[in-house]
Amino acid sequence: MTAAPARLWARRYGALMRNAWMVDLQYRASIVLWVLWGVMEPAIALGIWWSIAGNGAVGGYTRTDFARYFFALTLINQLTIAWDSWYLDRWIREGDLNFKLPRPLHPVHEAIADNIAYKARSAGTLLLIWVVVSLVWPAVRLPFAPATFAITAGAVVLAAMMRFLISFTTGLLAFWTTRATSIMELHAGISLFLSGRIAPLSLLPPAVAGVAGWLWFPYMLAFPVDVLTGAAHGPALWTGFRGQLIWIAVWLVLCRTAWKAGIKRYGAAGG
Amino acid sequence: MRRPGRSRAFPVLGALWRLNAAEELQYRANFVASFASTVFYLLTALLTLSLFFRHTTSLGGWDFWEVVVLLGVFNALSGLVEAVLRPGIGDLAAQVRSGNLDLVLSRPVDAQVFVSFRHIDIWRLADILLGLGVSAYALGHLGRFPDAVQIIAFFVTLVAAAGVVYAIWVILMSLAFWFVSVENIATLFDAVFEGARYPVSAYPAALRFLFFYLLPIAWTTTIPASALTGRLSVPTAFAAGLVGAGALAFSRLLWRAAIRRYTGASS
Repeated sequence: MTAAPARLWARRYGALMRNAWMVDLQYRASIVLWVLWGVMEPAIALGIWWSIAGNGAVGGYTRTDFARYFFALTLINQLTIAWDSWYLDRWIREGDLNFKLPRPLHPVHEAIADNIAYKARSAGTLLLIWVVVSLVWPAVRLPFAPATFAITAGAVVLAAMMRFLISFTTGLLAFWTTRATSIMELHAGISLFLSGRIAPLSLLPPAVAGVAGWLWFPYMLAFPVDVLTGAAHGPALWTGFRGQLIWIAVWLVLCRTAWKAGIKRYGAAGG
Repeated sequence: MRRPGRSRAFPVLGALWRLNAAEELQYRANFVASFASTVFYLLTALLTLSLFFRHTTSLGGWDFWEVVVLLGVFNALSGLVEAVLRPGIGDLAAQVRSGNLDLVLSRPVDAQVFVSFRHIDIWRLADILLGLGVSAYALGHLGRFPDAVQIIAFFVTLVAAAGVVYAIWVILMSLAFWFVSVENIATLFDAVFEGARYPVSAYPAALRFLFFYLLPIAWTTTIPASALTGRLSVPTAFAAGLVGAGALAFSRLLWRAAIRRYTGASS
């Protein structure tokens, strides 16, 4: 594709996102259900850590720290979550992809626009809930720090890009196997620990946390959460952003390779 | 006219289950996949638990292996959900929408029984055994062997727990009669049932209240596991039985009310 002017792309994305927003509007109830599902897991983890911490601290985390950590986690998880592997799996298995391929725009743009529209709605709801809860529950209040919020926004955008690429790439495995979603669930199971969903990474056994540091998991979730709560600052910010950029580059290459190889194979199989 | 007899429902269901089993036996690879995924989930649950126990010696007064007993009960009940409830009553919303429910209602069998139990995912039944096996193993580790009374109490409370879980599904699915698009409503159950992984005493007071009285999942895993670990008092066991029976009765009433309201999808 030749380099199109920015205005054209803005128009394309405007149309795609409007479309995605309208589609989501029909499924308001299901979106509420998915958000609720996303809230329960951290709520349960918070409940357990809250009891364990008691009036002391666990690994440096007091009750208040846990509350802030899991509230930040819930919001950032909703902002970065990507369901694309499930969609792609279905598109490929059931042939919906056929209708998307002849369009003049790569299907990935439709997926990106869907993600932006979905996250705007679901995370917007969660942010509102957080603000309301923090009025009555001081434990989850964050100090007002515009600089921190701005840096968090950057880390969230990068994390969302990375989770999108991971989800899209594993979804593409459906070109080769009928169990692509199982691979995604395996990934989700590992990320439960290594991306900080069940506990802050510093509470993991040091060996496990060490392994996590060599992989992409902490940059998906734990890093932006730590930025927002203020646990990551100074040099940790630099390492975090560097990790995010490196792993985005890796997953981008994997995604492009899988797409090219998969499309070739898909064409051959379709006859 | 003769009322739809329950006695007639069982031979019909028996025939359906035989067909079901014959069909599923063709896809044995599914058994491996379903078993592997259960083992994986069990493993993540155990790892989560050991992570909590790295920082504490008890969760709400339960030590590690006692919570594993509870985890086994949780796995058995999830197996029941996946094997029976999700493919059966979980399909109700889709049937209301497509109009297939009309065909069920016109049959001379009890519609609630038929809808609830006509389809069974037999491979998932293995999860029930796996869960009970995990509980038994954990009890062995504790060196506690429940006596006959405790085992009877366990099975009574487990059946009551199954009743509560079933009733929750009927209640959720009956919403389909009032609001047509509730096909994802099962997600609500999945979200809340996650809370049943741990003893209710491990939660802060607000969540505990929620799980005992509003979303009664405390009765599903904590109580039967308490029976096995010898924490259950006789009055609580009776209360659990009553809660189970009450939940079933309520689901029956709700079903009747829903069916009375239902006018069919066609015309």
